[in-house]
Amino acid sequence: MAQEHSSKQYDLDLETLRSRVLEMGGLVESQILSAINGLATGDTSTLDKVIQEDTRVNALEVSIDTDCSHLIARRQPTAGDLRMVLAVIKIVVDLERIGDEAAKIARMGKRSSEHMRLPRTPIAAVRHMGEIGIGMLRKALDALARLDPVAAAAIVREDVEIDEEFRSIVRQLITFMMEDPRTISQSIDILWVAKAIERIGDHSKNMAEQVIYVVKGTDVRHTTVEQLEREALG
Amino acid sequence: MNHLVFRTLLPVAFIALAALLLSFMFGTAVGVLAFGGAVAALLVYHARHISQLARWLEEPVLDQMPRGSGLWDDVFALLYRYERVKTREHQQLAKTLVRFRQAGRVHPDGVVILDAENRIDWCNDMAEHHFDLTLDGDHGAPITNLLRQPEFVGYIEAGDYSSPLELRSARTSAIILSLQIIPYGDAQKLLLSRDVTRLEKLESMRRDFVANVSHELRTPLTVLSGFLETIRELDLDPQRMRDYSDLMADQCKRMQHIVDDLLTLSTLESAPSPSLDERVCVAPMLERLRVDAVALSGGKHRIVLDASGDYDLLGAESEIVSAFGNLVSNAIRYTPEGGEVRLSWRASEGAAEFAVEDTGIGFAPEHIPRLTERFYRVDRGRSRATGGTGLGLAIVKHILNRHQATLEIHSVPDKGSRFAVRFPARRVVPATTAAAARGEA
Repeated sequence: MAQEHSSKQYDLDLETLRSRVLEMGGLVESQILSAINGLATGDTSTLDKVIQEDTRVNALEVSIDTDCSHLIARRQPTAGDLRMVLAVIKIVVDLERIGDEAAKIARMGKRSSEHMRLPRTPIAAVRHMGEIGIGMLRKALDALARLDPVAAAAIVREDVEIDEEFRSIVRQLITFMMEDPRTISQSIDILWVAKAIERIGDHSKNMAEQVIYVVKGTDVRHTTVEQLEREALG
Repeated sequence: MNHLVFRTLLPVAFIALAALLLSFMFGTAVGVLAFGGAVAALLVYHARHISQLARWLEEPVLDQMPRGSGLWDDVFALLYRYERVKTREHQQLAKTLVRFRQAGRVHPDGVVILDAENRIDWCNDMAEHHFDLTLDGDHGAPITNLLRQPEFVGYIEAGDYSSPLELRSARTSAIILSLQIIPYGDAQKLLLSRDVTRLEKLESMRRDFVANVSHELRTPLTVLSGFLETIRELDLDPQRMRDYSDLMADQCKRMQHIVDDLLTLSTLESAPSPSLDERVCVAPMLERLRVDAVALSGGKHRIVLDASGDYDLLGAESEIVSAFGNLVSNAIRYTPEGGEVRLSWRASEGAAEFAVEDTGIGFAPEHIPRLTERFYRVDRGRSRATGGTGLGLAIVKHILNRHQATLEIHSVPDKGSRFAVRFPARRVVPATTAAAARGEA
């Protein structure tokens, strides 16, 4: 944080808190990456590992939450420090949800790897969408690590792009389902995966908004993109 | 120093002596008064210089060193000399440091210096590129905040840095990095990162190659042993026997082809580059290629030869024939009945191009970069059914590399492909037969 505290331990606690959130973020990042790679290649051992590792993400959420309540009880943070702790509490929830989405993608991947009727095109589209989602998450975590509101604002813009990608996949799947009703159950699975990735984008956006809140002190949730950018840059 | 003390005290002694003299001549009062006045003047002189010195020390710029008089001039001169030596040393150190930093910055591997708490102290350009850092913005940030992959966090926390860690870059998944931490000095760490994408690719190619060879040989072997078993177990009539042994002979031939091709490749790899002395007469060679093509096609395709330019090539004839022949037989193999295969030869002073164009089944452009890999197949079933070993284009590529020629591939699925071989100027010479023919005419 910007100003020095009389207690060096306090500073260290805050810094450790942020590092732990980023550690959890790193784990979640690799979870989605493996889930999407496993889905594209049909490698079930990777997918199994993703499902297993989700418990680690959950454990981290609980443990970081405990850290937060300890820090509030012991130090009574104010101003920027308080905002940081509050933001961490919310970001951790978003990260845990992203972890759940990764596990969900892995489960879908396992199911669809058994009998693939669909052509590769929708999978390739999902993979591309996944890359955008992972990129957003990575940038959101970078913005938190660097406390960079400008980078955070850029992520909010990217969310529009991922939504557009989602709609195009839906259109594509509808065509496949109309052509051959046997592909319906698999198309629905793919649809769930696309939806999960779209949610990852939303959660990343939420995290970016929290970064702006920490640095600028204004709550930019549920505002327009333009308003948010003004706050972030101003 | 003593000398300066002496010079400081000397005026006082002199004033005291003069005052004593005055007090003898004009009375004690005058003497005391004169002594007091002179000492006061001396004090003012010293005070002025001390204040000058103090003012300069607040902002010590070498050129703005105050000028004193008398005793103070010497003091300032000493200070000036000392200051000048120090400044020069300082500049030299700074220059050395800048030189080292510059050398570190351009180091081809990524280098990050971490402090005891794993915070980024310094990093070079390559590390900025590998980890997407900026030295100005990320100085002092804990490295694990930005390099968050669980594998890396685990590696740095485990504290066992005896072996490097291989990591796919989070920024661009195409890059594979080899990371190594080296602790040094006062709990500091050096994080080195090296791009091992190429090595990794070579390693995987080698693994694939062994797997592919075994696979390619196993398929005919399985067929062969299947038939052998049938012949041994069952009492077959002579006609069946003959059919089976024909099929077995086919499989044997296949294996032979594969082994021959592998041997050709390994000979090409170990043989020295073909000399520039041997001349390959292109015109008769093209004609032979055409005849072979017609025979191979069995009248199912239209074969067109379109040659212009009386130039020959320098290189190993057997190799060039084999490379061209490979391209032609590929074209015939992948062109359905009734299609056209066009062989063209364009040569001029500076360059020569041999191209095989077909109206065959073609392939998607994403296969082009891997097409000349050993055993790489666009469609596994397809090429084996037509009798390919999967090594043809690898051999072609090798031969062309040895002749400094390049292979250019264009293809459109269901439309056809074009394989063009370009030779550099030093491998192209005017044809002797043509020259001789012109001479006779």
